[in-house]
Formats: sequence, structure tokens, C-alpha cells
Amino acid sequence: MLLIRLSMRNLLRQKRRNLLLGSAIAIGVAILVVSNSFSNGISDIMFNRIMRYVTGHVAVRFNERGGVMREIFRDRARALELIKGDPVIEEADEGVAMFTRAIGNGRSENIILIGVDTRKGLSAEGQREVEKSFRLVEGAWKDVEDLSIENPVIVSVEKARGLNVKMHDTLRVRFRNMFGQDQAVRLTVVGLMKNDNIFMQPAVFLEQARAKEIFGYRPWETGSLSLKIRDPQKNAAALADRLHDKFKPGTAFINASVHGLGGRRSVTVLGFRSDEDSRKKITGMLKLASGSLEKAFRKDGLILPAGLARNLGVTAGDRITLRYERKFEKSPKEAAYTVSAVCASGDYPGASVILMSDPAFYDLYYGDLPAAAGQAYAGDKLGGWSGLVSPEWVLLKRTYNTDDYKKKYQEISQNKWKATTIDVSTMYETASDILKLEYVLKLITISAVLVLFFIILLGVVNTLRMTIRERTREIGTVRAIGMQRSEVRDMFILETFFLTLFASAAGILLGFAVMGGLTLVPITMQDNPLGMLLVEGRLYFLPTFAGIAGNVLLIIAIAVATAWFPARRAAGLSPAKALGHFG
Amino acid sequence: MNIIEIKDLKKDYPLGNTIVPALRGVDLSVAEGDFMSIIGPSGSGKTTLLNVIGCIDFATHGSVKVGGLEITALDDRRVTDIRLHKIGFIFQTFNLIPVLNVIENIEFPLLLMKRTAAEARKRASQLAEEVGLNDHVRHRPAELSGGQRQRVAIARALVTNPDIVLADEPTANLDSVTGASILELMKRMNEIEKTTFIFSTHDANVLKYARRIVKIKDGLIEGAPAAA
Repeated sequence: MLLIRLSMRNLLRQKRRNLLLGSAIAIGVAILVVSNSFSNGISDIMFNRIMRYVTGHVAVRFNERGGVMREIFRDRARALELIKGDPVIEEADEGVAMFTRAIGNGRSENIILIGVDTRKGLSAEGQREVEKSFRLVEGAWKDVEDLSIENPVIVSVEKARGLNVKMHDTLRVRFRNMFGQDQAVRLTVVGLMKNDNIFMQPAVFLEQARAKEIFGYRPWETGSLSLKIRDPQKNAAALADRLHDKFKPGTAFINASVHGLGGRRSVTVLGFRSDEDSRKKITGMLKLASGSLEKAFRKDGLILPAGLARNLGVTAGDRITLRYERKFEKSPKEAAYTVSAVCASGDYPGASVILMSDPAFYDLYYGDLPAAAGQAYAGDKLGGWSGLVSPEWVLLKRTYNTDDYKKKYQEISQNKWKATTIDVSTMYETASDILKLEYVLKLITISAVLVLFFIILLGVVNTLRMTIRERTREIGTVRAIGMQRSEVRDMFILETFFLTLFASAAGILLGFAVMGGLTLVPITMQDNPLGMLLVEGRLYFLPTFAGIAGNVLLIIAIAVATAWFPARRAAGLSPAKALGHFG
Repeated sequence: MNIIEIKDLKKDYPLGNTIVPALRGVDLSVAEGDFMSIIGPSGSGKTTLLNVIGCIDFATHGSVKVGGLEITALDDRRVTDIRLHKIGFIFQTFNLIPVLNVIENIEFPLLLMKRTAAEARKRASQLAEEVGLNDHVRHRPAELSGGQRQRVAIARALVTNPDIVLADEPTANLDSVTGASILELMKRMNEIEKTTFIFSTHDANVLKYARRIVKIKDGLIEGAPAAA
């Protein structure tokens, strides 16, 4: 208490000097609070208003046959089940979208036609967020659900201007759907929105169920999943790793009945890989009774074991019919195939297993998922075939930076994938350029603040040196009276501590006043990428308690550390010398 | 019983490339409860001797025992403790702490000793009354006269009940009437508190108050005249 009292009183002793230094620190803190809040605001814009809608914090992408334009997963419920229950996931959106060219009134523009789930129950906060990010200027979100209107859509004001359309006008779009069929659709503008996110300006929102129908999805299918998560900077990579584990594929199989010339049998159909390496291995493993492996390796190749062929009364070149129960449709699926080869002996995966070349297998499997899809394969042990039979999908390896991510997708485009690929990625991989902008802005802020604080700290050191010089005799007196060195040192450090603490408090107030003032100024920045840093046409600040407390603690720590050395020197003075007495 | 025993005390000060001997072999014993004056001209070594006795400066050579404790062998923390618990200081220029008022200045050493605030305040008030500053306890040093400031310094020096009070030319900055009153006060406190007082002076008028006078010249004690 004594030291605190002394320190506080000494602070008031050099009012002008301490006021000047305190003002400098306060201004520094204010700048730090403002810049930090601005930086947080940018992070918030990036993560919660841009990345969230553009790629999601974490995305699970499904590309059938590795085709980047064919984003489809045939079992929506299963995909949602796999991501369910993770505590950091706040929202999962189905990414149903299509790049296309839209024709308005005499003008055309590129747009992204996006399916939005307007019926999804949002929390009040979520609702506010959406309304903040996509502010409707005209119309209402519910209008996109109106069945009496032909494909009602909400268009951004900028895009509407580009297409020369207004409310209730018609847009025509032509695109190639999920399965390569050309489609032409008329859209009706029922809403105009304003959004600050420049990346979302080409977006045209259509009700999700209609979008899925137009794009060729069936109700039980989905596009990619975009996940909004809590504390994305901290949790994104770990969540992606967890989801990656959950999406490990099992063996794809179809429990079917097969009908040949001589009867009907229950079988399991497995796909086999038809790439070069797999062909070599399979060739070494099988001895044929009839037919040829060359035919079996073709797109529609089919291999039967000799016993089954005998029971069915078929041989190579004969037709068989497969029939199985489907997962999402009531009627069974039937498909006819020509037997390419009959295996007499060797390492074969099972007496009632039909092997099908993976292009044909995946066509059948994905086209109509069997009832048992998603269950574990319960057939004979696959042994040497475990790496050769077709998995449910191909899970792409996790990457942790953009370079690896790009490489991964280059490999995909070079590979002739037969299966659906699943990729679990975070925004750090998919949109690192945008995130780099945030990083650069933070770096600039921190550099400016560091320079500022270096100057201020010089002030602290100088002031303390002057103070110590002026109070040398006083130091001698208190030391002579019996104050320990450590107490003298602490007294000066406490002075710096209190000066910094009070100045920081003033700086925080000043910072808030400055932010309040700046947010009152409207800024017009149309069609400028920097406009994405604005919210509702104004600068956006997001001060956080932890951020401000961290800044103040940092400043106090730096000031105290800076004060430490002159304070220690003061404490080390010999009392006799400090008192200035000789002889 | 001697409270201070000094043998062959030497103290040198470096001054540029040369060494200036301030004390050149001092032998001195001071009895408990004495009221002793060290006299000598400027630069004779009075203050250096007081500083060494008061543990605020260290001997270059020799032995210095304060209360039976050889202080030349102690580290700074122990020596500081001795200053706090056993020694009181009165300075020529008063050396009060300007940001503290009279009562806070007096209680300051007690708070350094970690006494409770109430205990310290009670003892400080008692001392303030004894030195006649009852009506000025809330005043800051800048609001006091020279004599009043020195009274505060005396009270501060005595507040811890030290064994020894060292006063370096306590009247040098005071007019003769005030100086005399200060010496009267010190003498009275010596009688009341039974504290050993050692004060330096070069003022012949002050000597009549001393019970014992030690004369120092060129760093050596010339003689030890009988107490007045």
C-alpha cells in the first residue's frame, strides 16, 4: 500500500510531463484499439460474411467421377448424418449452385444461380446475420417460395443494373445441368438485394428445392456441404480432419438377384478397378474358363465365377439380368449385362460375387443406390482383392495450404476418376488469397502500431530517466531510512504501471469515440473491391473484450519491461552517493 | 556499554585517476545513550564517518561494529534492515518526502517495517506531538518552515525507536534561534527516549549541547575532549 500511495502521489507531482506522456500512450492505445477493432471487423467480414457464403468455413465437396462441374452426392441424409453432432458446427448449407449466363433486357451477364433454403429455421442471430449480409431493397425472402410465380429469384442491385432488369422482369438462363443436358429456364425477379460482399454480387438466389430440380438433383441428393462453424480460425482445420476421418469409404457393393438362361441366384456385385496397375494384378490372380480379361476390363466388363455361371447356365457372351432393391425408390432396379469372362480358378473374392468393371459399376451404383448402401460389406474376406474392389467413393487426402490444394485438384483433373471424390477442405486452402488480404492488413496495422509504440516507449524511458535524475536525492533518503532496493525499483515500476493503466483507460475511451465517429461517415465505393471491407457503406469495427484487454496488457507489459532497467538502476544507487554527500 | 566500536577505519574515494582518502584510520567508541558531536572543518571527514556508522557508505578498510554487529561483512539487504530498525537519520537539508504530509513522513519508516497503518499512525501522532507539530500534521513539507521541517525529520528519525540517531549538521540550514530549539529538542528526545545521538557540526555554538565532542581533521580523530 505504501508503494502504491507513493507511486500515485509521485505521478501527480510531475503533472505536465506525465500528462504529455500519458496522452501519447492514450493516443497510441486509441490507435491500437481502433486498428485492432478494424482488423477484427475485417476478419469478421472475411470469415462470417464472405468466406461463410463463398466457400463455407469448412466445405465437403463431392465430385462424381472427379468432375468439378458434377457436384453431387447421392445420399444427402448420409452426408448430413456424418457431419451431425460435431459441437463446432453451427450451420450446414447444401451448396446447390450453377455458373451460367443470364439474359436480361437487352443485356447479358454471368451469374451464379444459387439454391437457398428459405424454410430452414434460423436463429434470431443467424437471421440478423443473413439480413445484414443480404439486405433486401425490394421484395421479401418468402417471395422465392411462391409457387404461383415462374422460378422466382432475388438478384443483387448491381447485377440487376447490369442485366437491365427490375422487379417482376424475366431473366433467361441456359446452362448444362448436372448430367450434361442443356437446359433453358426462365426466372422471375421477385427481389432486389444489396450486399457488401463483392464476391456475392453475381449471386442470384432461387428457392433450393426448385434449384435442385432445375440442376437435375433428385430430392435425396445433394451438392457440396458448406459448414459455418464456431471460432473458424481456431476450429476449421481440426474439424476438417475429424470430418475427413468420418468420410472414410467402405466397400461399395450391391446385393442383387441375377437371372440367367438356367435360373436365378442371389449374388453380391462388386466393382473392380480398371486402371493399369489393377489390371495387371487381376490378370495374375485369375484363370479363365471362357471369355477374355480384355473384354472384362472394358467399360461394361463383367466377370462371373465358374460355379455361378454354371448354376445360371451362362458362359462368356451370354446376357444376364441384375435386379436389386433401391434405397430411395420403391420399385427394384433391373439392368442387363453381357458376361465378359468366366473365372475357372484362382484368387476370386467369393463364389456368389459378380465382378463388374468400375465404370459400369459406378453407373449402376450411383444411378440407383442399393438398399444396403452405407452398410458395411459383410461378404467373404476380400484378401488380395481388398485394394482392387471399388470403394464407395475416393476420399482425397487432406491438404493444409493453397499450393497443396491446387496440386490435389490438378491431379484430379489428370486422373480419370470413376468414383465420386470427396474432399474436405477449409477456407485456408480454398480461399487463401482472400485470407492473405486479411493477414496483410493485420501485418500493416501491427507494424504501424509497433513503430508508434517504439516512439512512446522511448518517451517512457526518457521520462523515467529524467524523473530518476531529479529524484536521486529522494532515492538516497528513502534508502537511508531503510527502503530496500527492490522496493525502490518497484516504486518506479508502479509509477509507470499506473501511468500506462490510466492512459490506456483514456485511450480505450478515445478509441471508442473515434470508432463511433468514423462509423457515422458514409463511404461510397461501388464496384471497388475495397468495398467489401465496408458494412452498410460504412467502416466496420468489431472491438472485443479479449482483444482490448490483450492490447492493454501488452502495452503495460512493454511499459513495465521498459521501466524495469532505469528503475533497477535507480534502486542500485548507493545511498551515500544519491544523497550527494562527500567529506 | 558501547553501541558503536570503530577500529582503524579507512575510507577512500576515487576521484578521476587519483584516490582521495576521506578517513585515514579512525578509532572510535560511542557509549549507549550518548549525545555526541563530531566537529571539524569542511572536508575533514565528518559526513563520511557518519555515513559509515549509519551504514549508508562502506569502509575501505577497518572494522565497524554497530550494536555489536560487524557491518562491513553484511550484504545490502541486511545493512538496509539495520538502517531501518536500528538507525535514524536527520539531514542538513531535512530530506523529507515532498509528496507525503507531516504525519505520513513521520510514519514512513514504520510502514517500511510492515507495521499496521493504525499502529504506525498512533506512534507517528505521538511523535508529532512530542516535536510540537500537532497542528501541522496534514501539511506537506513545502508548507512548513525550515525549523518545522527539521522537527518532522527528528520525529521520523525517532519513530522506530532506533538505537542511534545520526544528524549531519542538523542546524546548518536554520537560523540560530531555530537551530538552538532543534538542538534542545534533540537533547530532550535523547533524555526521554534514551537514544544515542551523534551529530556533526562545524558551528562552535552547537558544541555546548554535546555531552561528548570528537574532533576530526584530515580524516583522523584529533582527540576526544571530555563531555560538556
